[in-house]
Amino acid sequence: MTQANAKSPAAPKVDPATTVEAPPETWLAGYRPLRGVFDEAMTADGEERAAYRSLFRELNELDTSEMRRRAETAQRIIHEQGITYNVYGDPRGMERPWGLDPLPFVIAAEEWRRLEAGLIQRAQLLNRILADCYGDQLLIRNSGLPPALVFAQPDFLRPCHGITPSDGRLLHFYAADLGRSPDGRWWVISDRTQIPTGSGYALANRLVTSRVLPEAFRACQVQRLAPYFRELRSTLAALSPRRVEDPRVVLLTPGPYNETYFEQAWLARYLGYSLVEGQDLTVRDDRVWLKTLSGLEPVDVILRRVDDDWCDPLELRNDSSLGVPGLVEALRAGNVAVANSLGTGLVQSPALMAFLPGLCRDLLGEELKLPSVATWWCGQPGELAHVLDHLDRLVVRPALRSGPRLPEFAGKPTEAQRDQVRRLVAFQPHAFIAQERVELATAPSWDGGRVVPHPVAVRCYLVASGDSYRVMPGGLTRVTPEPGARFISMQLGGSSKDTWVLADGPIEEVSLLQAGAQSVELRRVGNNLPSRLADNYYWLGRYCERADATARLLRATLVRFSPESTGSSAPLLDPLLSALSAQGQLEGLAERPDLRANPEALEAELLAAIFSPDRRGSLRHLAGQLQHLATLVRDRTSNDLWRVLSTIDDRVTIPATGKVILAGDAVGVLNQTILGLASFHGMARENMTRAQGWRFLDMGVRIERCIYLSTFLDCALRSAEADNPSVLESVLDVADSTITYRSRYNLLPNIAAVYDLVVLDDTNPRSLLFQLNQLVKHFERLPREKQSALPSPAYRCLIECSTRVRLADPRPLAGMGGRWRESEIGVAIEQTLRDLPRLSDAIAVSYFAHSTTSRTGEGVA
Amino acid sequence: MRSSGRVRQPLLPLGGIMRLNIVHRTRYRYSSPVSENFNEVRLQPVSDDGQECHHYELKTSPVASLRRYHDFHLNLVDHFYIGEPHESLEIEARSVVTTLRDPRRLEGVSFPRSRLGECLRLERCYDFLQRSEYVAQDVEVWRMAQDVGMGHDDAWGLALAMLHHVYREFTYDPAATTVHTRLLEVLALKRGVCQDFAHIMIGLCRISGIPARYVSGYLYVKPGENLRGELASHAWVEVYLPGHGWLGLDPTNNCPVDQHHVKMAVGRDYADAAPIRGNFKGRASQQMTVDLKIVREDLDA
Repeated sequence: MTQANAKSPAAPKVDPATTVEAPPETWLAGYRPLRGVFDEAMTADGEERAAYRSLFRELNELDTSEMRRRAETAQRIIHEQGITYNVYGDPRGMERPWGLDPLPFVIAAEEWRRLEAGLIQRAQLLNRILADCYGDQLLIRNSGLPPALVFAQPDFLRPCHGITPSDGRLLHFYAADLGRSPDGRWWVISDRTQIPTGSGYALANRLVTSRVLPEAFRACQVQRLAPYFRELRSTLAALSPRRVEDPRVVLLTPGPYNETYFEQAWLARYLGYSLVEGQDLTVRDDRVWLKTLSGLEPVDVILRRVDDDWCDPLELRNDSSLGVPGLVEALRAGNVAVANSLGTGLVQSPALMAFLPGLCRDLLGEELKLPSVATWWCGQPGELAHVLDHLDRLVVRPALRSGPRLPEFAGKPTEAQRDQVRRLVAFQPHAFIAQERVELATAPSWDGGRVVPHPVAVRCYLVASGDSYRVMPGGLTRVTPEPGARFISMQLGGSSKDTWVLADGPIEEVSLLQAGAQSVELRRVGNNLPSRLADNYYWLGRYCERADATARLLRATLVRFSPESTGSSAPLLDPLLSALSAQGQLEGLAERPDLRANPEALEAELLAAIFSPDRRGSLRHLAGQLQHLATLVRDRTSNDLWRVLSTIDDRVTIPATGKVILAGDAVGVLNQTILGLASFHGMARENMTRAQGWRFLDMGVRIERCIYLSTFLDCALRSAEADNPSVLESVLDVADSTITYRSRYNLLPNIAAVYDLVVLDDTNPRSLLFQLNQLVKHFERLPREKQSALPSPAYRCLIECSTRVRLADPRPLAGMGGRWRESEIGVAIEQTLRDLPRLSDAIAVSYFAHSTTSRTGEGVA
Repeated sequence: MRSSGRVRQPLLPLGGIMRLNIVHRTRYRYSSPVSENFNEVRLQPVSDDGQECHHYELKTSPVASLRRYHDFHLNLVDHFYIGEPHESLEIEARSVVTTLRDPRRLEGVSFPRSRLGECLRLERCYDFLQRSEYVAQDVEVWRMAQDVGMGHDDAWGLALAMLHHVYREFTYDPAATTVHTRLLEVLALKRGVCQDFAHIMIGLCRISGIPARYVSGYLYVKPGENLRGELASHAWVEVYLPGHGWLGLDPTNNCPVDQHHVKMAVGRDYADAAPIRGNFKGRASQQMTVDLKIVREDLDA
């Protein structure tokens, strides 16, 4: 087979400095395209193109400051919605806010229809090629497809050969990166068949842009994205091998460290699928199951965001901990559907582009409608010679995902560097391709106060629909960070735009939540909670409460701490300092007795316990943990809850100005933190349904509150001054019970009355017994406790604990004279402190016991 | 336990027929209970023009239901799964095979080296000319192949020269390597077992343009025969020459494959043809013991 290449027109040189500058009348009127490049909005003569006319008319209504305000609003929405993109190895923290240019990319209806036809044809072609490679492999035998393009690809998964779905469809999702050359023609720059990412970001971009430019969005008659996602849902449901009305679809994610985790959580929530990791699934009897709190539930369809070779550590990559052992066998047995099928990464290879025109004629009997960037595969002698002769104007790239790499050059390669490339290519020609350079078209982009042309590429998304495909009317438009750049990569700091496909008819209004005329079976419980999520909710609850307790202890310490009164008040601070030290906020207090005598050092320690990001247990550290845990339950939490947690993290982060923090400022920060956590609790209580997720969240809160309260009370009872009214006041303060105490007793704090209120009073929501009673109520409703006749070990432990506390008599405390810990209350507190970690472990064993690691053993005789 | 089975030359008598009864037990002990144990087993002797498998039976304890399929290289795979927690796993494969490979059929095999380029265009050969997980293609391998190949115009002559070279230059040493040892490491150590010998020879053949694949199987050794290492499963190499098909060569014993060899699975290297491969959940470490008995029914019994 010969490689047929349409010649893409040679790209003229562009110099950003040649932009024609004219004194701008409004921010938009100054826009001028670059010379020699196609501009989406304007012809070379400076005339607006039709597609952009309505947009520009609306934008002209906004003056510069208004436009700036809107751009800032867009940034704020992105921050509040937590739209992020993970950048590997970023020193500034893992999550980077998503880059969005508020000015949309616009494309006319007529032009879009042509693109659609080309994209659908291409998806069908790639699907046919895949079906052949994983089936009879006739293309190698009859159509001259070089064996290397199949067998040398690491993406050709041999265990998946012969697994062909009944409808012959392997490619359910497909995305293509399109670019426009100076003559206005569209070219496919790359194909995405492994995991076409970014459609969730396209959705997020639409949400933000339509909100900050509502007038333009209305005026432009923009096609909606929702019908695409509705189609996606029905396609996935139709894949289910079980003929059931409501098949279970899950979105398989590699986890929160993946670069597009935000998108996965966002999509799962938008589409109503469970977001699961490999360890949430298990294969039994060649079927896939989801591990939930009430047992195993069958899984019918897996929407895959894990690269296919990581999906099954048994038959594919042995070192994968992301996959599900036995998945390939379950697929072979036809009991589960995976979209995209395993092995689809094969046709993503750029080397295949050189053969597409011929394969299109052979397989579909048509000419390829949408050309690829001109590509030569060096594995053939003629093509190799051509490439080696034209190294000066071609870009050489690796053809294999894990093949030999080329050295990277900054700028134009020298003759010596070209020689190096020549040697590498000649040694292993089949591992390289060469492509013509495409000068990308530009579109107007907002650049903080003015609008400038930036090169753009559009990623379009397709989903299988019946025996054809449906194209998302929109897409993810990516923008290079600077004019004239050749590579677009979100990893390298590019930005993005919403993509507006104009309609020439009425707009179809759809919402994914509209059930239409179908009748709905009413439900009072959602889909069963995966065990891993219950685990995460539980720890979210615990960390929230730990942050709250830490803030309260630190606040109580700081307000009682004044440098000139240290000498006399030091013994009274003791219980607070010991409790902080026992909780891990103050390090080395026991080893450094000098600290207590040195107020400056102590103050520095206390401030570090709030603001130091490196100290384990500091408030800052806890806020980071909270944010991380919130990420893990992201697909199940409301945006408001998410926002509240983000603000806590923001507050305890010191601005990098090197400003000295005063103890007084720190108390303000602690007050804010406590208020923030209170609004989190309030929102959780008022807005979360009383389902399993909430139950585990609240159990975490209660257990943590028991732990910190009994730790503190134990420290207080150890102190020689335990009945000193000042110490008792700090007890009331930390337990947030001062007002209640004053309303009941018109006298100085009395030890028996104080301990009755903070330990035994079950009407006080801050008392120890109240927490234990709440835990008992939760346990009574847990799925496994309901089913079994005998209490589980965890429940038994809890009942013991709460009974002991309830029966303790506080009155003798008053007469104990220093041996307070020997009183019934003292003993009950001490034992509670000992039992609680056991209780927590028992909960983990009973309910989260899935998290044992999976390992591969090779049995070799 | 590692592959072994190396005997001194020559394996006599040439050209006979053997009927072998094989019992192969593999036992795993886990330090603490494990669950969700998935396994793939490639232990069934093939039936082809050099051997016939009359009987094959696989049992596991705890009992599991087996599913069978052909993998990409057309090996028969038994797949099973044990979900409940267990502390040991035993896999027992029993088979009866007749072998009838006559090394004399190799007399007169010949193929010009200059025409080896044709192999690259055969889809059945492509995989066996490339690098693979265990068999890297490296300048050291290339250098060794150049030295051995000097003066050989015939591909079969070259393959035999490589066979002798690997046998001569590498020391048989079960302590030197593990099942995870890759070709480049063996090349530096200059020692290893049959798996390593096979990988080295595959690397040399592929870089010289001769398609070569890995074979896992058994080697029958008569009681009392000179034997290095203990009796266990074995591995060797097959090379492809157009017009002659796949031809077996055993670099550990410096001989062509004959009726002493029982073939079970083929692949690009050990990773494709491993007799047992599993994945379980649990924090346990595992200990494996193997018990292999091969009885020659038409003689020993």
